Amino acid sequence: MFYRLSGVYHTNYISDSRIYKVPADRNLALALLVLGVAAPFIAPSLYVNSYMLPWLIWTSAALGLNLVTGWAGQLHLGYAAVMAVGAYSAIHAARFGVPWEFALIIGGLSASVIGSLFAFAALRAKGLYLALTTLAMQFIMDWVLTHSPAISGGSHASLQAPTLKLLGQEITSDTGLYYVALAWCLLVTIFMLNLKRTGLGRALVAVREKDYAAAILGVHSFYYKIVAFAMSSFIGGVSGALLVATFFFLAAPEQFSVAVSIQALAMVIVGGLGSIIGSYFGVALILLVPGLVNGVVVTASEQLGMQINVETLAHIPNAVYGALIVIILLIEPLGLGKLYGNIRDYLMVWPFDQLRK
Amino acid sequence: MRPEKHQPHDEAILECVGIERRFGGVVAVTGVDLAINPGEIFGLVGPNGSGKTTITNAISGFYPPNKGVVRIAGKDVTGVAPHKVAKLGVARTFQNLALFNGMSVLDNVLLGRHIHMHPGVLPTALYWWMARREEIANRMIVEEVIEFLQLESVRNELVDGLPIGLKKRVELARALVSEPRMLILDEPMAGMNQEEKGYMARFILDARAERGISVLLIEHHMDVIVGICDRMLALNYGEMIAGGIPREVVKDPRVIEAYIGGAHG
Repeated sequence: MFYRLSGVYHTNYISDSRIYKVPADRNLALALLVLGVAAPFIAPSLYVNSYMLPWLIWTSAALGLNLVTGWAGQLHLGYAAVMAVGAYSAIHAARFGVPWEFALIIGGLSASVIGSLFAFAALRAKGLYLALTTLAMQFIMDWVLTHSPAISGGSHASLQAPTLKLLGQEITSDTGLYYVALAWCLLVTIFMLNLKRTGLGRALVAVREKDYAAAILGVHSFYYKIVAFAMSSFIGGVSGALLVATFFFLAAPEQFSVAVSIQALAMVIVGGLGSIIGSYFGVALILLVPGLVNGVVVTASEQLGMQINVETLAHIPNAVYGALIVIILLIEPLGLGKLYGNIRDYLMVWPFDQLRK
Repeated sequence: MRPEKHQPHDEAILECVGIERRFGGVVAVTGVDLAINPGEIFGLVGPNGSGKTTITNAISGFYPPNKGVVRIAGKDVTGVAPHKVAKLGVARTFQNLALFNGMSVLDNVLLGRHIHMHPGVLPTALYWWMARREEIANRMIVEEVIEFLQLESVRNELVDGLPIGLKKRVELARALVSEPRMLILDEPMAGMNQEEKGYMARFILDARAERGISVLLIEHHMDVIVGICDRMLALNYGEMIAGGIPREVVKDPRVIEAYIGGAHG
């Protein structure tokens, strides 16, 4: 479309270590940011708050999981448990009277502490064994939540989150809640973008690829795995707390069940391990496509005058979306992020690449 | 002729005394002594399975020796974990390449600077204020080595797709940027053609000349060993069979027998 690399020269290392080295990428990111900020004014608030807001928060959470699974290469099947720790500790802190700013940080830190303490024990196992151990963490957390009324209020109870209040402002409006989600997602995204160009990110990838080669360069694998778990749990904890504070408004154990853990992992894998933009796409697919397919099926059946019973209607979206995941991973095993990358690379030189043929 | 026993002396940069390493009932190496002086290129040869790589693994901490002592610049490092040995100025390359796939050549080489950098969560979050200066300063050092090894044209390419000769060079670059005192090269020329071998030999000599690095070189190419090594040691079945000046060692009947067999018959 445009020869977007043409005329882009980096004459010093500062400019060569920018997040977006190609101006076209930077402009696209800025345009999306403007769209994100303007969304409450241009889109109906129903869409903004029931689709975009959870999308943003889940993207932050998925990026956290991507950090430990995509960057550091440690399969994590208990991510929802970590989010639950963050959510419950933040809400209890807020109910106790701690200002929300600190409550969120307390949520993040307690998730981080529990997540890395657990990792400290679990990381003695590798690969699939580690995955199973993290699954155990999920089940332990499920059990703790349903069996300790002090934390969750009992097995079928839910915990009301106090009204979100940041910087002295009570945030109750739809727009306000959306902006909180947007701000958190931006923070996490910027952190992850920086991770791509700092020693910490490189060390994590080194640990993922070849831990013995990393060791010989002075990278202590165990330490960096723990750091990855701690960071990812912090992000997960705060995201879990925000999910309850801005979307669910009350916390219940089933919001953080094992199914949610699997779903989070699916978001990361469909989006692409180690891909930031991929996490956005992956969350969109897993979170929004079932609803979309449902809408399409309902409209289509009405148009065609077909009678579809409720049970079939409930299953079609699941089948379609399962098929979509399989198709995407067949086309590009590295996920939607890589698919986007391929298209971008193709457009980068089009139409000039045609000249060679 | 018994191989010359290197007496422990203070100036040796790397010293192994009576190294023995067993894997279950298999004795991989036993009674191996070697001492490498600063600025020396030391060759280690031997047929497959003679224990060359086991010795490098004993030095770098992957397989701590069952018996014997490893000293780096006089400091006992026997059984010290690999990531700590790296901090003492020992760098190495691997026999079957250990580059990090999915990363660019530049990032791979930058990882060699790890021990000189202070990566952390805060510097990553506050990149512009806490990490950028360090990243740029280390980038400049890395670029010097990239220029030295003529890797400029592949700097931003993923290492996955490079030809093996270039991969070996990237691995050498990654080892060199850590500014080691002791560089262990495990078959850096395996699978290379004559021209690539020539380049690699020149890089090793230049690295020594410009940076004063001591090198422990494991190779099967005897022309290289004779051409660039100051001293050498030959192993067979995990034991030392000959040591000294390469031109003389390669003529030793036991070395010839170990390599091609039947020299005395």
